[in-house]
Amino acid sequence: MSPEPVLSVRGLRAYYRTRHFGVEREVRAVDGVDFDVERNQIYGLAGESSSGKTTLIKVIAAALKPPLQVVAGRIDFAFAPNLLSLDADALAKVRWKHLSYIVQGSMSTLNPVRRIRESFVDFAARHLALPRAAFERAVAEHLQRVQLDPAIVRAYPHELSGGMRQRVTIALATICRPEFIVADEPTTALDVVVQKEVLDMMRSIQRGIGSSVLLVTHDLGVHAHLADKLGIMYAGRLVEEGPTTAVFAQPRHPYTAHLIASLPRIGDAAQRQPLEGNPPNLAAPPPGCRFHPRCPLAMDVCKREVPPMTSLGSGHRVACFAVNPA
Amino acid sequence: MNALKVLRDLFKTNVEFAIGAVLVGIVVVFALLSFVSPYPPLDVYLVAPDVPPGWPHVFGTTSRGQDVFWLLTYAIRNTLLFGIAVALMSRVVSLVVGLLSGYKGGWVDRVLMSINDTFIVIPLLPILVLFFFVMRDRMTSGWLAVTMALLGWAYDARLIRSVAMSLRHREFTRTSVFSGMTTREILQREHLPYVLPIVFSTTLNNMNWSIGLEVTLSVLGFTDINTPSIGGMMYWANQHTAMVAGIWWWIAFPVLAVMMVFIGLYLLAVSINEYIDPRSRLSRIGAGA
Repeated sequence: MSPEPVLSVRGLRAYYRTRHFGVEREVRAVDGVDFDVERNQIYGLAGESSSGKTTLIKVIAAALKPPLQVVAGRIDFAFAPNLLSLDADALAKVRWKHLSYIVQGSMSTLNPVRRIRESFVDFAARHLALPRAAFERAVAEHLQRVQLDPAIVRAYPHELSGGMRQRVTIALATICRPEFIVADEPTTALDVVVQKEVLDMMRSIQRGIGSSVLLVTHDLGVHAHLADKLGIMYAGRLVEEGPTTAVFAQPRHPYTAHLIASLPRIGDAAQRQPLEGNPPNLAAPPPGCRFHPRCPLAMDVCKREVPPMTSLGSGHRVACFAVNPA
Repeated sequence: MNALKVLRDLFKTNVEFAIGAVLVGIVVVFALLSFVSPYPPLDVYLVAPDVPPGWPHVFGTTSRGQDVFWLLTYAIRNTLLFGIAVALMSRVVSLVVGLLSGYKGGWVDRVLMSINDTFIVIPLLPILVLFFFVMRDRMTSGWLAVTMALLGWAYDARLIRSVAMSLRHREFTRTSVFSGMTTREILQREHLPYVLPIVFSTTLNNMNWSIGLEVTLSVLGFTDINTPSIGGMMYWANQHTAMVAGIWWWIAFPVLAVMMVFIGLYLLAVSINEYIDPRSRLSRIGAGA
């Protein structure tokens, strides 16, 4: 394992703060998250809807917009120490070239009235700083790398299939060979066959340029297929992280265990047992461990104190008092 | 190439478009004839006055000794140019205001839209008459076009703003911001091409609006009456009591010409609007298209 992580997030808290008619509201979407992503690693981030995944990666991409605010913590990239302190100009230099972002619903990343070539020029040309002809050649080569015919640069997005458009967006995000790629639900709208092709292609591109990927999706199948390391989020906090195989084979946090037990398995027709209750309201989260109201192993200490992330060895960490007694 | 094919398809499948294109086409050809006119437009008493339509004066002559046919070619040319000038100038204002307001939001939007709404509620005709009385001879048709362009952008700025507001939340706008494009680049390269078809349709309506207003002002004599225009012809016809004197051709042909412009532009605007909306396009051409 390389000792120097590409991304290190420490004690990150990001809240949505709104004020309507004098009523202040605070939604703690990300509340104390620590993790590292190493070079050439695909880090999968999983969790149900409203667990703070998207907020977390917005902060990591420094795409903050009110009412979202970072309350505490720091983010360090190997190429951009203390990202959150950078001003707009410095951020513009880092983005796309070093840090690129495949947005959620990336099917619509492409402007419907611009040809693919124009999208490449608009988004990537400034960061590559190549003369026009060399840039066009680079685009053509890169499109071949994602198994697309370079002739599609003349097409409009609606003339391409969903899988092709997804490849184009991935090509757009990777043409500058960024060190870090944030991918938010990159394959949501694709069927499984195309999804697998796109995922395999993403992996080969990533291995090819040696970048790190933060892959966010609630589809555990995608994580099992792609991620080297898996982090599980629940209600704005990381509850477990570890090598993907270890997390799937031996989930330690009761929430992870339920999540993985809920996956369908071929030949197993048994009814899955749902977990009682709903994810907590992040405007008024429960004290202590946020999972305790739904947890079958909940103890008294869980209601009072927040369990720390404790290492179990070989990169596996979990935040649970049932695993690591206080 | 592609645009030609679209026009041909529209011509075949859309009756309104075909009629509108033919009407506007006739008027444009007529206006182009002014370049081969045998008579200078401003001279009077060149031909025998009050001759009814016939040969060689196809549309007859006026009481001022002008040939109606050739005078009308100048009049329709000036009127069309006036409409185009107003439409183009006001488009620039409404695009800038609409795109900026919709994309920026916040206080920019509030300031621009309160200016916008002020222009919407201003009563235009009295204002333009006032302008004429203040500026008098300096109020050439060029300045009138500028004045009307500055008064006539507000409705379309609101329309463009509403589209820009939805574009602002599209993923491609977010990606543009993330990739480091400036506001000007985003508006110009990502949003402008998106709203252009809508702008095209409203341009035709804006031309109709400005021509109608110009005719109204001219008929009342509140413009530069020496430049031949449709309204100006009617003004002189009224001055010479053409209707009472039975010189009907002096009024009938300008009215006919301006009606062709109105109906033609309106039909074009409607059919292009329908073409832009994919749902109505499908129902017309058939689901396969």
